[in-house]
Amino acid sequence: MLELEHVCSQSGAFRIDDVGLSVADGESHVLLGPSGAGKTTLLELVLGLRELESGRITLAGRDVTGEPIERRGIGYLPQRISLFPHLSVQENIAYGPLCRRQSPAEFQPVVDELVEATGIGHLLGRRPDTLSGGERQRVTLVRALATRPPLLLLDEPFTALNESLRREFWRLLKTLRAGHDFTMLMITHDLAEGFFMADRVTVLIDGRVEQVGDKEDVWRRPATLPVAKYLGIRNTFDATVAELDAAEAVVDCPGLGGRLRAALVPGRDVPEVGAALSLGIRAEFVALRDAAHPPTPREYLLEGRIVDAAVAGAEVVLLFQPNDAEATLEISVSHRLLRRFGVAVGQPATAGLPPDDVLLLQTEAASVVA
Amino acid sequence: MSFRRLTILSALAVLGIYGLLIASLAYYVNAADLQAALTSTRVLFSIQLSLVAATAATGLALALGVPAAYALSRFRFRGRQAVDSILEFPIIVSPAALGAIILIFFSNPLGQWIQAHTITFVFAFAGIVLAQFITVLGVFVRFLKTALDQVPRRYATSARILGASPSRAFLTVDLPLVRRGLIGAGVLSWAKALGEFGATIMVAGTMAMRTETLPIAIYSRLSVADIEGTVTLILILLAIGLTALFVARFLLRERDRA
Repeated sequence: MLELEHVCSQSGAFRIDDVGLSVADGESHVLLGPSGAGKTTLLELVLGLRELESGRITLAGRDVTGEPIERRGIGYLPQRISLFPHLSVQENIAYGPLCRRQSPAEFQPVVDELVEATGIGHLLGRRPDTLSGGERQRVTLVRALATRPPLLLLDEPFTALNESLRREFWRLLKTLRAGHDFTMLMITHDLAEGFFMADRVTVLIDGRVEQVGDKEDVWRRPATLPVAKYLGIRNTFDATVAELDAAEAVVDCPGLGGRLRAALVPGRDVPEVGAALSLGIRAEFVALRDAAHPPTPREYLLEGRIVDAAVAGAEVVLLFQPNDAEATLEISVSHRLLRRFGVAVGQPATAGLPPDDVLLLQTEAASVVA
Repeated sequence: MSFRRLTILSALAVLGIYGLLIASLAYYVNAADLQAALTSTRVLFSIQLSLVAATAATGLALALGVPAAYALSRFRFRGRQAVDSILEFPIIVSPAALGAIILIFFSNPLGQWIQAHTITFVFAFAGIVLAQFITVLGVFVRFLKTALDQVPRRYATSARILGASPSRAFLTVDLPLVRRGLIGAGVLSWAKALGEFGATIMVAGTMAMRTETLPIAIYSRLSVADIEGTVTLILILLAIGLTALFVARFLLRERDRA
């Protein structure tokens, strides 16, 4: 559906560098990345709001690289609501179809269906300035889909909405996609939103594609240190590959005071023995062990004590200091688990690092496509 | 005295200054002079000439000024800074100097060729329109550009993404959104053209029943010490100008309610 090939663009000091992106027909693809990663710039290139320095953009097999904005036929839900203030809701919705020379007989059934699905029928005669934020976003969504665009681009459209309303919109979009069969490319810096909406994700950092893959794969197995850090993995350590077998790597990790095992990811490049890399482990995957909760085979065990505990909403974040290592580990546990282990600040504890949850991360920027 | 009171007094002082000047005209007003003026062929010609010339000059300013203001507001192009700077030229140069410049232009070979092969400007109706057009063009473009700068670009961008061509996005989105600024700039330009004197007299002269606009007629009456006649013409000019302003305000209010 949408293909970006070797796209380069310069905007002041910021550079989009040799970006490739492929969004399949009917896919919901989310472009993730920290602020300033170039997500909006990339979307503007697809829309035609910026010129490419080099590269090519094709949409449904058609080269749209030099095509004017209005001929690309892309639906767009922007971050800042831009309903025309001088037109009614109904006129706003009809604007796109009329520009594309569709007759009311052609577009009205589609609009009626969208109006019904989004529940904005009672707003049609009103002006945008009389609507609430959620209502405006619903109208903008209907306006964007009224021409039945094959591709809908979303630029962090729900940032200004409150949490419950945002979740309502995520569900609504999923419902609309099921009924209206459009491909979606969304950008967001909100991980929960991105992973909820995506089939596949691309992580963009500093204008470069760091990793592309199915959302489960990217979430469970970030490939590089920048991606891991962006995805919220706070336990990262320098390491060197000591041994390799078919399924696992044995790595020396001075920060954790020893040699531990990490599972290799099928389909990814196997690091060489002696290669320097980073280890990462999610705070929620560090296991607390006691007699009632014994370690799994080949799990790396660390004896130490809890030096801090902070309640962070539904979870409690513990800071674990191993006895024989300088580094500290963050451990995220539920309130219930904390009560079960009876862990408190200052008390000794045992932490387990299962090989399946220890990640081998490339330290240098690299494009990993799965 | 509080700051609030000081500012309100300043605002009222503005009204007082202009109000006092206008009220002072009442001393010389009499119904007979007013009636005579309104039935005088020469006065009626001046009114008609002023209305037609100001409307034509404003129309020309609109035709050139609207796209020019849009370009200045929306695009970066070579020469943009120079265009932006020249807009104040008619304000910096006095109207008399502006008229003299136009006159000098028509005495050089290019100006003479234009007059010989197109239409006559000097001491003619076209000259009045040209003088007023040149006087108001810069002001019109400056006002409209400022108004367009206030319209966020995202609306036109959305229109383009929805399928509108650049001109359609301008006509259906930017222009309606800048409606207040456009009407304001148009009315102000029309009123300025209506009251234009210095450049007009330089280019078109003071020929009764040919190039005598209302401001020129006022000057002619005053130059022969006809105070009552002068006051009568001033009141007519004032009435036309105020009517235009009220009509503009009425139009804006009605549109806002719609």
